[in-house]
Amino acid sequence: MTDTQWPRFQVFHQEQPGRPHTNAGAVHAPDAELAIQNARDVFVRRPDCVSLWVVPADQIFSLTAEEISRSGLPPAPAAEGGLQRYLVFIKRTQVGSHEHAGAVSATSGQAALAEAVSTFGKADGLVWWVVPERLVNRTEADQIGSLFGPAKDKPYRDQAFYHTTTLMRQIRGRPKQEA
Amino acid sequence: MNEAERLAAFEARIHRGEKIEPGDWMPEEYRRQLIRMISQHAHSEIVGMLPEGAWITRAPNLRRKLVLLAKVQDEAGHGQYLYHAAETLGATREEMIEALLSGRAKYSSIFNYPSQSWADMGVIGWFVDGAAILNQTMLARCSYGPYSRANIRISAEESFHMKQGKEQVILMSQGTPGQRTMVQDAVNRWWWPTVMMFGPHDHESPNSPVLIRWGIKTKTNDELRQDFVNQVAPEVLELGLSLPDPDLRYEQASGNWLTGPIDWDEFWRVVKGNGPCNAERIAARRKAHADGEWVREALAAYAERQPTT
Repeated sequence: MTDTQWPRFQVFHQEQPGRPHTNAGAVHAPDAELAIQNARDVFVRRPDCVSLWVVPADQIFSLTAEEISRSGLPPAPAAEGGLQRYLVFIKRTQVGSHEHAGAVSATSGQAALAEAVSTFGKADGLVWWVVPERLVNRTEADQIGSLFGPAKDKPYRDQAFYHTTTLMRQIRGRPKQEA
Repeated sequence: MNEAERLAAFEARIHRGEKIEPGDWMPEEYRRQLIRMISQHAHSEIVGMLPEGAWITRAPNLRRKLVLLAKVQDEAGHGQYLYHAAETLGATREEMIEALLSGRAKYSSIFNYPSQSWADMGVIGWFVDGAAILNQTMLARCSYGPYSRANIRISAEESFHMKQGKEQVILMSQGTPGQRTMVQDAVNRWWWPTVMMFGPHDHESPNSPVLIRWGIKTKTNDELRQDFVNQVAPEVLELGLSLPDPDLRYEQASGNWLTGPIDWDEFWRVVKGNGPCNAERIAARRKAHADGEWVREALAAYAERQPTT
């Protein structure tokens, strides 16, 4: 029986236009195209998403504040290749998630991490992720209707659709009937 | 830093309310306990689709059918959130699924009870999802970042599960004599299994102290169970329904609803695999996994033909 330890993709979703893409979790998928599809099925059952990005999890370079306090900043390695752009995601609050902060240019993932920490400041970062921008797969404008539209007309997925508090209040207020 | 200093620094972080993230130092036992808990939680979401999935085709109207479909879909998604949270600790989904399909893995015993009537859809939502929400709201404050985030997302989505069930129980309890009989029967069958869902009493729960010390849990089994009984018991009685516990009473001094003794023999019998539906649940998961094999093969074949990035 074949099983599917397919590659993992980290998923970033945008709740409103203009808001940063934020890490929602991860999916397994055989390729980046299906990763978008799986991300939509797993993370967009409700109408709070206008855009999805997926990135291969094994291409993310990660650094935590705890690692820096233990071992210092990683040494910048010698240039390994040409300069390329990396997207930067930072987790800034204890309960928060990794938010898109911007981009840096660097010759390697390790160098991009060091660049991200110095560009965006070490003070309030808890976790930094960088990933080559060319590996980011994004939903296109013409997919938005078909991917995110169906979640908009399902109000019964929201707890406010059920008036249990009102029903209980009505029953409490009713005169007791003799059995 | 030696091992003892690392552990002290780790516990100080937890004490300050910091979240532990992948990459951070953690004791092996913290990792082991989390993988155990998160994988069991994930399996519970997946197996939890089965008792309700069985009633989708028999829903009494389209509204109830849409609601039940949406709820079961959510459970599938919640299972995925959780498998991925466990993967950040080094477990693989493949290993976890294999443990479930082979019958080695544990999951919440509540799902080894059969769903016998439509009224069970109401009572499962109110009782079982209500109990799960209490647990998951606590776990949303867990010290491990990825598990905490998965539970925040689950808790936000799951409040609809509880309310759609409670709405049905309320309406049936005020309905025809036939509906009242049906919903009372469902309440009678699900009450005790739900009370047992929180696990053994604290003094018989060997993992509790370390889970609380490391901020994985912030409440004990008995505390969560008491919260559940206090929340649900008075409202069930207000609906003119009864609960199958002659010793159930309100204690003025503590403000708690106290239950009679719990039948732990039954609990352990079901945990150890001898509940009414243990074999049926695993057989259903195996069949679903086998039936999906051609889809996995087709997707893999498609991916192989794509130009690599």
